[in-house]
Amino acid sequence: MKKLLSLILSLVLVVSVLSGCSSGKDNSDGNSASNGGASGSGEKTVITFMCSGTQATEGEDFETQTLKKMVEAKFPNVTLEVTKLPDDQYYTSLKTKLATGEAPDIMWVQPRNAGANAVYALAKAGYLADLSDLNAAKTVPGTGDFNYDGKVYAIPCGVQFLGAYYNKDMFEANGIEVPTDWDSFLAACETLKNAGIQPIVMGDKDAYVMQFGLYQLAANVVYPKNAEYDNQLADGTTKFTDKDTWDRVLSMYSELYEKGYIEKGSLGIGASQAIQQFIDGQAAMTFDGTFNAAAIKASGAADFERGYFPLPGNAAGGTTYVAGAPGAGPAVYAESKNAELCKQILEYWFDAESDLCKAFQNNPRFITSYEGAPVDPLFNDFIDAYSKGNSFYWCNQAWPAGTENEMEALFGEHIGGQGTTIQQITQGMQNKFEELYTE
Amino acid sequence: MTKRNKSNIIIHILLCLYTVVTLAPLVIVLSSSFRSIGNMTSHIKLFSEFKLDSYIAAFTRMNFPVVFMNSVLTTFGSVIVVVLIASMAAYPIARIKNKRSRFLYYFFIAGLVIPSQMVIIPIAQMFNNLGISYNRFTPMIMFITCSLPFSTFLFTGFMGSVPISIEEAAYIDGSSLFRRYFGIVFPLLKPATVSVIITQGIWIWNDYFFPMVFVSRSSQFSLPVAMIQFLGDRENPAQWNVLFASCILCALPLVVLFLVFQKQFVNGVAAGAVKG
Amino acid sequence: MQKKRKEKSLVMTNRMYLFLIPALTMFVIFWVIPLLMLFRYSITNFNGINQNYDYVGFKNFITLWKENIIGISIKNTVTYTVILVFVSNVAGLALAMALNAKIRMKGFYRTAAYLPTLFSAIVIGFIWTYVYMPSNGLIATLMNQVGMDGSKFNILAGFKSALYGITIVDIWKNIGTAMIIYLAGLQTIDESMLEAGQIDGCTGFQLMRYVKLPLISATITINVILSVIAGLKAFDYVFIMTNGGPGKSTNTLMYTIYKIAFTDQMLGKSAALSVIAFIVIIAITIVMLFFMNKREVEL
Repeated sequence: MKKLLSLILSLVLVVSVLSGCSSGKDNSDGNSASNGGASGSGEKTVITFMCSGTQATEGEDFETQTLKKMVEAKFPNVTLEVTKLPDDQYYTSLKTKLATGEAPDIMWVQPRNAGANAVYALAKAGYLADLSDLNAAKTVPGTGDFNYDGKVYAIPCGVQFLGAYYNKDMFEANGIEVPTDWDSFLAACETLKNAGIQPIVMGDKDAYVMQFGLYQLAANVVYPKNAEYDNQLADGTTKFTDKDTWDRVLSMYSELYEKGYIEKGSLGIGASQAIQQFIDGQAAMTFDGTFNAAAIKASGAADFERGYFPLPGNAAGGTTYVAGAPGAGPAVYAESKNAELCKQILEYWFDAESDLCKAFQNNPRFITSYEGAPVDPLFNDFIDAYSKGNSFYWCNQAWPAGTENEMEALFGEHIGGQGTTIQQITQGMQNKFEELYTE
Repeated sequence: MTKRNKSNIIIHILLCLYTVVTLAPLVIVLSSSFRSIGNMTSHIKLFSEFKLDSYIAAFTRMNFPVVFMNSVLTTFGSVIVVVLIASMAAYPIARIKNKRSRFLYYFFIAGLVIPSQMVIIPIAQMFNNLGISYNRFTPMIMFITCSLPFSTFLFTGFMGSVPISIEEAAYIDGSSLFRRYFGIVFPLLKPATVSVIITQGIWIWNDYFFPMVFVSRSSQFSLPVAMIQFLGDRENPAQWNVLFASCILCALPLVVLFLVFQKQFVNGVAAGAVKG
Repeated sequence: MQKKRKEKSLVMTNRMYLFLIPALTMFVIFWVIPLLMLFRYSITNFNGINQNYDYVGFKNFITLWKENIIGISIKNTVTYTVILVFVSNVAGLALAMALNAKIRMKGFYRTAAYLPTLFSAIVIGFIWTYVYMPSNGLIATLMNQVGMDGSKFNILAGFKSALYGITIVDIWKNIGTAMIIYLAGLQTIDESMLEAGQIDGCTGFQLMRYVKLPLISATITINVILSVIAGLKAFDYVFIMTNGGPGKSTNTLMYTIYKIAFTDQMLGKSAALSVIAFIVIIAITIVMLFFMNKREVEL
């Protein structure tokens, strides 16, 4: 008897430790559930918001500080819990949470098919609430990329571009004008190289940076001829292997490696190391997005003026198209107990007149198209092209997530001298597309 | 000069070389953590600056006191439970020698090599089915579960060196099974216990995966999760100097514990493992 | 005979199995059942998000085979594991022997060797990319200083060398653990045994091979097991340092499983690879345990 009793005791000990976990939460969670949306009682509703990114280390972080502070001021009954994780970790975390119904009330989604948090995939699985009725869905530009089956599922946070950051001082010293077509771009690289300057540095160890150059070329080579190219991939009308589409994009980009314009051994350099080499004045250019502008502008070993131009993949005399797309943005979890409240928060966030929206526009991380919102002069050319319609989205947004990784891996083999041909890359992309594409 | 002295000098030279190789990367981390936040010039230029900015940023933006307490609670809680239930599990496995015990032994060992990334979605679904809600203690369930195979393995091995005769004597004296285990056997497992605490404690302290997935609120995060908020991604440059500072802040408690308990530490890892 | 008597032992009764309940319950609920659930997904096209999935039979396995994913990832994982096991054990043992000698500053060396174990893999991975960086990384700089051409050094960019590059980091981080365990093993050796050996005229090597090694065989077993586990689970440094690149040259089993599940969003296919990985790992473990147990008796 005594033995049994003591055994039970030890079991209880273990079980209580385990259940202690859940009971602790039950109190707080039970409250928020019962008071969901209700007002008047002193209890606060907890709204969870998860997004991808990096905590700012200087100044106020927009999501975790500004947004939280202002939303809580506007909605006194709300506690906004913001979680910010790097994107890979964010994907894993979001996916697991969706699988358990513990998803955040507001989550960060990407346009179309981009990434593991693509709006199409999430909307199709029924995880997102329809936001079509919101004012924001009607007024904020770019919601078209978050439209699935005629409904808007997220509000984009501004727009983002890919381009070539360049060292203005180096260009001037060598008498180089900003190139406006592919040949003059190659000529500029040649001039720099002959002057003993490394023309371009890329951190290809982080293979995603290959997209920064390739998508700009695709915007000039593939889409102007056939804007429906990606949609037609789905029904088989077009293929990655079609002549003068991706084979051309890839061989143009590959030329930069063959001629040594992009630093040799780039496969061993990380993305942040590449940026550092650029700002230290060790290379004249680097392809990167508007989202990395802050890192590009940080002071390094060399002191010089930065410029930014769209990589011209066009023939002389033609129009240069930019690779621009709406940025990721917040969406509301369909099963959220506080979905209505979340929608009100989004309305407040994107209402041009609200304090929060002003703070949002003034944050240099976002390029918004609100009237009077400050824009970094570095991006002026891009915004001009964008507003004229001379722009195409980033390719991977139209591909099932994973296609671009195959492209990067195969292109890495190609420039790494593994004998992978351009034709094998396009074939590999096509195979991967067919494997991943559903519907 | 005697032969012994000569060989000692060679040993010293080799050890010094090895120590340099070991410490060089860590010195880079330390030196960079003392830089101002935006200074990303080559990290090889050691101690070019000596500022506490990065530490201050790391400390305040991680909400250090809160996440530190979360880490302490979950790590200690998990380790205590692991020691308790793994040693209990090892008891019958080591003491009863039959096919069933051997099967159970290999059953646990099979869990040694399965990484958590592989099964995370089914695990999450299991949590959902059981209605386990997410809070700072939820990751403990997985910390404990993942620690069980190795700990059970270690305890089972070590239990073999605890003489059965003591237990037989206790049995004759009329001790209950429970008293026999907790009164006599468990205290004798101390070296293995220390070993389990150390090996499992370190990975649990440093693990960001389970807290990241099974905690929903930033105020309930553990140290490593708060730390990876500074790790950049495709569209956001990493805040390396702050990350280094937060990494030092994260490792510091372990380093201090190591320095204080160095002797027990070494003997603990050792004794548990040697007889295992 | 002795075995039989023990089975009926009055002291070691079957009631002791009750002690297993807490551990077994947790292990089954949170580890074994999820693993079985995962195996079920291996014959579906579940994408990890959409709960409406279909059963597709062995299609996932066939695709994995055709794309040669199985071959590449097993080969990389095995290479990684073999190097890790061999180097960290040999170096760990050598280090332990050096520290077992009567020398000064033992504590300092020991602490230094153990420090890397305490740090988070993310930061370790990043800092090593600076060590490896071409042209102005730590190694390249040192090479330049001693008059070698450091610009040629680019280990992470090489399709053949990148895997070794990340294995070295793992070895660097884990050698401390191996060293400490060996050190403890060596300290249990009775001095008189060694003296006896010396009197018998053993050379240093013979002393090592026939006296010391057999005496620390249990220590060797545990160290080998630990490093085999670490090798088969290789994920962190691939994830942080190379992302499987350049090309696909550092795709280990665990990284590939992760990538298929979370990047390609094909949990079904990733589960199929998990099933294969599981079989491979269990096979390796069984062979190893069998071999180890046998050898331990022999030595």
